Amino acid sequence: MGNDRSLRRVIKSKNTVLIAILAAVVLMFYLLNSNYLSGDNLRGVMQSMSITGIMAVGAACLLIGGGIDLATSMEALFGGVLCGLLIKAGIPWPLSVLLTLAAGGLIGGAVAYLVAHLGMMPFIASIALSNVIRGVNLVMTNAQNVPVPTEGFWVLGSSNVLNIIPTPFVIMLILLVIYGLVLHKTQFGRNIYLIGGNQFAARLSGLSPKKIRTILYVNNGVLAAFSGIVVASRMHSASPSSLSDSQMDAITAAILGGVSFMGGSGGMGGCLIGILLLNFFNNGLNVLSLESHWQTIAQGALLIAALTMDYFNEKSREKSLKAGAALKQ
Amino acid sequence: MEQYLEFTGIGKAYPGVQALRDISFRCDGGEVLALLGENGAGKSTLLKILSGDTRPDEGGIIIDGRPQQFSAPYDAIKAGVSVIYQERQLVPAMSVMENIFLGEQPKTSLGTIDKKALRQSTQDIIDKFGLPIRPDELAGRLSVAYQQMVEIMKAYRRNSKIIAFDEPTAPLADAEIAILFDLIRRLKEEGRIVLYVSHRLSEIFRITDKIAVLKDGRFVKYLTTSRTNEQELIQAMVGRDIGDTYANLRRNDKLGDVLLEVCNLETEYLRDVSFTLRRGEVLGLAGLVGAGRTEVARAIFGADAILGGEIRFEGEAIDFSEPKDAIEAGIALCPEDRKDQGLVLWRSIRENITMPVLGRIRKGLFLDRAAEEHLAEEAIAKYAIRTPSINKIVRELSGGNQQKVILGRWTNSKMTTKLLILDEPTKGIDVGTKAEVYQMICDFAGEGFGVIFISSELTEVINVSDRIIVMRNGRVTGDVTRREATEESVLALAMTD
Repeated sequence: MGNDRSLRRVIKSKNTVLIAILAAVVLMFYLLNSNYLSGDNLRGVMQSMSITGIMAVGAACLLIGGGIDLATSMEALFGGVLCGLLIKAGIPWPLSVLLTLAAGGLIGGAVAYLVAHLGMMPFIASIALSNVIRGVNLVMTNAQNVPVPTEGFWVLGSSNVLNIIPTPFVIMLILLVIYGLVLHKTQFGRNIYLIGGNQFAARLSGLSPKKIRTILYVNNGVLAAFSGIVVASRMHSASPSSLSDSQMDAITAAILGGVSFMGGSGGMGGCLIGILLLNFFNNGLNVLSLESHWQTIAQGALLIAALTMDYFNEKSREKSLKAGAALKQ
Repeated sequence: MEQYLEFTGIGKAYPGVQALRDISFRCDGGEVLALLGENGAGKSTLLKILSGDTRPDEGGIIIDGRPQQFSAPYDAIKAGVSVIYQERQLVPAMSVMENIFLGEQPKTSLGTIDKKALRQSTQDIIDKFGLPIRPDELAGRLSVAYQQMVEIMKAYRRNSKIIAFDEPTAPLADAEIAILFDLIRRLKEEGRIVLYVSHRLSEIFRITDKIAVLKDGRFVKYLTTSRTNEQELIQAMVGRDIGDTYANLRRNDKLGDVLLEVCNLETEYLRDVSFTLRRGEVLGLAGLVGAGRTEVARAIFGADAILGGEIRFEGEAIDFSEPKDAIEAGIALCPEDRKDQGLVLWRSIRENITMPVLGRIRKGLFLDRAAEEHLAEEAIAKYAIRTPSINKIVRELSGGNQQKVILGRWTNSKMTTKLLILDEPTKGIDVGTKAEVYQMICDFAGEGFGVIFISSELTEVINVSDRIIVMRNGRVTGDVTRREATEESVLALAMTD
């Protein structure tokens, strides 16, 4: 089983590179500003990463299954706003949360309908839908923030586990573990990889790519809405426009973590590293109080740097395999 | 000046394999040279190097005495090399003439494309080859055979002195092959150098003058076609004598009851198709490309709607709406296009084998990994799939081994397959593995499966099947037993009105 071991080594090495980059990023910012690793700041990073992180879980599953939803962050805002309005209308907050999750699922289902059933390109369909949702968010709120003064509701976003670790971060970790198990241990998870790898072959082998992909879009909508709810709970108010800067963050985190853009490969471990990397980097720029436009440039550069590292890593692996083959002859 | 093409000491390594090693041989103008070898012998890699798609690690190419350095396909085209690959390289949404003159259309004085001149020049080339194609036709609308002709005309227009064909007859029916061979002979008469890669030995004897045999990335033998025979070629290729493949097949002679009855079936593509299949029987579907053979398989499998007549499986009328239902009923389809429709290339052998039975190897919520590995190992042992591990990515296997993975999927012990439909199972597979596949087909029948064997290669479909259904234009034109069938009689049924 020599091949088995080398395969594992490759996967490992990919993650190893990412972890090395992560460590380098953290070290660099720590040297630039020692407050970077202070407890307060760490808790801040955990808070903010859980928002992208929860979305990234759904986005990664969708990418592995060969889909993509560029409306994810708008779905999240929709979730926050809707939940806020429901609570404001006097519906108990747990029920509001459930109703909002269902609504998020419906929006995911709408994307799935356009993509999986009408056969539209996922990019185009989800961007179009993203505009519609943004408009709906503004109409629902009259472009004003929706304050949510219900203290019970704050527990999701503002509380800490064991008085130290922010609850949203723990929720994110739990989701990563659950979805990791689903992906690698269950029939449904395997089906996701198979339809992402080749939907035609999968269908001829008795799988239902349409159905599976629909579930993934719905799941993505539910998780997006949930992350919006967590934001509202943390801010004690829901904004109809706050996340629009981080349009692509969830997808970026997944791809940084080695989820293939082409579908069929990736996993939750890599996804976590991607989330950590993206957020420690963004936070580092904040701590340095760099002007926000420069931050945008730096974030783009990070993605390019990570992809480049990955490219060279791949190259050197090929070279060593080649050398091995020549030796064998 | 003398025209020739020479490979000198070419070596090339890919991750995990030394694809080519010290390949040297020469091909002269006015000759058709066959490049022969099993899958993985290095033919495709050599063509890639010739076309400038890949650079060799060592050695080089000499054309008419001048050493060449191709760093991109463009350089090879400029040097007069055209490679016609299995996958068509036409722009489907452009017309025939635009494709033939791609990148070099005649211009008017205003700099716009001179359509009139373009049409005329194209018509001239078409007339020269005597083909029934119109310059304005969209390339994508043409049949596979004519698309290939357009590519040959494109190479001709570029005035390429070296034209290489990579298994050109794989998608063609016998009548179309005759047209192709006429074209190749014409290129040869004009003094061009033709390289011809094919698995089909009979074709090599029909069309080539010289034969270069490769094996495991090395050059083994250079032969003159008129002074050799099939036995010698096969021995050179596989390093062993496979003898008379068909006579040595261990066949099944115990037929069971009727498994499948197709009665007056009509679909969008089929007219009044009727036949029966018994358990333990191998039924061949013969006919030209487009005769409706694949469509019969699609109708049974539930991929095309049934418009009239009926299909009875184990005595009950069936009309599936999804492949899933057909699989549950016990029907399995090995599609013609292994890579696009058969396999999930980037996943492992194990995952490809257990695809349809994941629901049966669960332990509670999770998949039973041990049971899964057991199924994969079982298939690897049963079909002698050459791999170091069940977790090897399917993409890295040879065509023959990939086909075995698909067979392993449908016949693993968790499946309840009763009818196995094999659509061109030997396409792109080397001679040695083909013989193995034939034996597997007979073994399936021996295990009690009903087998439908679809093939464009007359020889194999006639010699492997117990009975042969011949089709033409969506209709059945003949139903003959192996004893009655000859290549001539079946071809006549497949072609004549």
